[in-house]
Amino acid sequence: MSFSLSRRAFGLGVSAAALAACSPGGGGGGNVVNVYSARHYDVDRTLYDSFEQATGIAVRVLSANAEQLLERLRAEGEATAADLVIAADAGNLWRIKDAGLLQNVTTPALEAGVPARLRDPEGAYWGFTKRARVIIYRKDAVQPEEVASYDNLADARFRGQIVMRSSTNTYQLSTLSSRIERLGAENARAWAAAVRGNFARDPQGSDTDQIKAVAAGEAQATVCNHYYYFRLMRSEDPADREIVAKTGIIFPDQAGAGTHVNISGGGVTTHAKNRDGAVQLLEYLVSDEAQTTIAPLNVEFPIRSEIAPAPDLAAIGAFKEEDIPLDALGRHQAEAARIFEEVGWL
Amino acid sequence: MTRNALAARGANIDGVALVAALATIICAAPAIAVIGLALARSDGGADFGGDLLANGAFGTGALMAAGGLGAIVFGAASAALVSLCRFPGRGLFEWLLVVPLAAPSYILAYAYASLTWAGGVSPLRIEGFWGAAFIYAVGLYPYVYLAARAAFVSQSLGALEAARTLGAKPGNVFWRVALPMARPAIAAGGALAMMEIAADYGAAHHFGLTTLSTAIFRAWYAHGAPSMALQISAVLLLGALVFLILERRARGRASFAAALTRAKPAPRYQLAALPALGAVALCGGLVASGALLPLAWLLRLALLHANVEDVAGPFLNSMLLSGGGALVTLALAAAIAVAARRANAFGKASLYAAAAGYAAPGAVIAMGALALFGLAREAGWIGGLGPALAVTALIWTYAARFASAGVQPIDAGLTRLSKGLDASARTLGAGPWRRFARVDLPIAAPSLAAAALILFVEILKELPATLILRPFNFDTLAVKAYSYASDERLLEAAAPALLIFLVGLAPILILTRGIGQVGRR
Repeated sequence: MSFSLSRRAFGLGVSAAALAACSPGGGGGGNVVNVYSARHYDVDRTLYDSFEQATGIAVRVLSANAEQLLERLRAEGEATAADLVIAADAGNLWRIKDAGLLQNVTTPALEAGVPARLRDPEGAYWGFTKRARVIIYRKDAVQPEEVASYDNLADARFRGQIVMRSSTNTYQLSTLSSRIERLGAENARAWAAAVRGNFARDPQGSDTDQIKAVAAGEAQATVCNHYYYFRLMRSEDPADREIVAKTGIIFPDQAGAGTHVNISGGGVTTHAKNRDGAVQLLEYLVSDEAQTTIAPLNVEFPIRSEIAPAPDLAAIGAFKEEDIPLDALGRHQAEAARIFEEVGWL
Repeated sequence: MTRNALAARGANIDGVALVAALATIICAAPAIAVIGLALARSDGGADFGGDLLANGAFGTGALMAAGGLGAIVFGAASAALVSLCRFPGRGLFEWLLVVPLAAPSYILAYAYASLTWAGGVSPLRIEGFWGAAFIYAVGLYPYVYLAARAAFVSQSLGALEAARTLGAKPGNVFWRVALPMARPAIAAGGALAMMEIAADYGAAHHFGLTTLSTAIFRAWYAHGAPSMALQISAVLLLGALVFLILERRARGRASFAAALTRAKPAPRYQLAALPALGAVALCGGLVASGALLPLAWLLRLALLHANVEDVAGPFLNSMLLSGGGALVTLALAAAIAVAARRANAFGKASLYAAAAGYAAPGAVIAMGALALFGLAREAGWIGGLGPALAVTALIWTYAARFASAGVQPIDAGLTRLSKGLDASARTLGAGPWRRFARVDLPIAAPSLAAAALILFVEILKELPATLILRPFNFDTLAVKAYSYASDERLLEAAAPALLIFLVGLAPILILTRGIGQVGRR
């Protein structure tokens, strides 16, 4: 009895080891690009499919949070199978670069495809879509000019009338980081403290929950990424479209520094097995073909202004974008987190 | 030290103990790696502003107390009602009450937020601290219910009849005999529920609460300081260990082993009209708020989103991981539970070591597994994290995370085995393997089945470790539901979330049937 059991245990161990030995270390042959992606959008799959059709290079995806993908890349080191990392928010991409896990890549197609402001100066990551941080206000309580700037949200006029999501969220951190870059940490702290003082309640829920709270009359204004609002406009749920009817959208600071704009972007991993394939995919993502293909399906803005976004986005018209180096969003992130904690905006 | 104790110690250096030791090491390794990493890695810890850590510890403690107490009261009360009393719908509630087990806390949180916050349809808001405590209580009470129900139905007619014969009123029989006898099981189930609460990130974060779990992810995500996240995790793990030791201490020697004899179960006490109404209201309320209401809301959302996409792949992957993971974890948990029952220091240590992982967020345990993987890779033992290795690492992480959920019911089942029986077998010359196969295993069989099914459902619901360790092009139902939900697309998330629930329902039905049979024996 004892013998047969332990023999079985031994056999199990051997087969586990054999399984481990058989597993391909890379999986990155010439015809596969392995992507770690922190984006969960259906349009991405559409893009990968058309890339496959155009080049014969298959795209395999592992999606998870950017922070988790970073830890996996770190543990995998040179053995990683990932060739390309895709993430929303430049702050996340900056961190992966900062950990030494992205390599610098520069090609004419990438340089032509991505405006200098929307990529890493050294070529570690390249934007392929844009998202704007907008203000949503309730029409029956607020005049558009009262929320023309992020600064307005700090006014005493909005005491008890602002809702915001948690500052653990990267978008929130990046918004404050951009302010630190432009106006300094003291200004950013004062702004965050004043906005915190105007909260109708402690932060809870998602960007969409903030929009709903504004529409329901629990607050008068909030800040969110523009596409959450446009998703509600396109929603199958009539209740969602009702929310849109009660609220308005502002691209802030048109008379000032411009609206905070962030990117979704990608970078080639330091230990990519299929560097060429990864670069090709990156080039494809910023190409006219890909950008025009996904524009009508996407709720984000194309990376180049000359490409028309989806009709409802186009209806907004051109808007002035904040002009700061993207890597500032990463550099100031930890300080932004600390400021949020100090003012009690968690 | 008595001669017996010495003999017991000598007998522990045997095959069973070795297997148990190995199982413990396997289950505890990622958690130990987390603690080791917390001490070793210093890429600049997070420089928190404010009292985040103190507030987080307080928040976790308060949630464990409020949510855990709710789960204990709901679970024990409903178990007592369906096991000891007769009222309309009792047979239906007997299995319906387990159903919330299939709904992950984060799905409940998203569903309740959508249902009751702005834009929802309910005038009553489920939000903030009490909202989260409510969700934990109605989502996690089945852990207590299952354990307590098993304890109540295995109580023999003899003990209850004796009390009645001695003139105790039915209420007194319950408070002074039935409840005290079920106390160890209730405590074990309550401990599981509380550790689930400590480990939860999704619901706490969505509700804007500050807990140790949200502090961990704040350090990791907002400060970009995974080393700080590991340090807070180490605190959480050690806290869980202390909690477990205290819980076991409090339970003390309160084990009731007499029920092994095949006594007839006690006849159920017929409730009068008003109490029966109360019983139906309580059981119905629990099932409705823990499962039916949020799931009906999800169903409405799923139907609004007409575009039903392919969930066959994720479904198969979920089945593969949950099935494989449950079997492996079960085997390890059984070894640990058997070792733990041999009341010596090693057995207890292995129990605690394997259990701590249950109180840590899955993402943190996964980080520990990743770090071990990194070490093995640097040592040249393995290559990259290919599909087979990724699945192996994933199943290992499940074992580390959920071993305790398996150990607790098996251990509870084994406490029904009187020490005398083991001693008799030993006196009759049975060796350790023989005693394990002929005595321990048959007695523990029903609880093994229960443990396997609980593990299956746990792994089915598991998200963060699956997210971080799975192979390319490999999505599970939980990953699908989360991807959409985290992207704030609840309509699209609804279908996979519902499917998690439906898949989880099958083992739950088997589980409750099993309990019924134990009761009928």
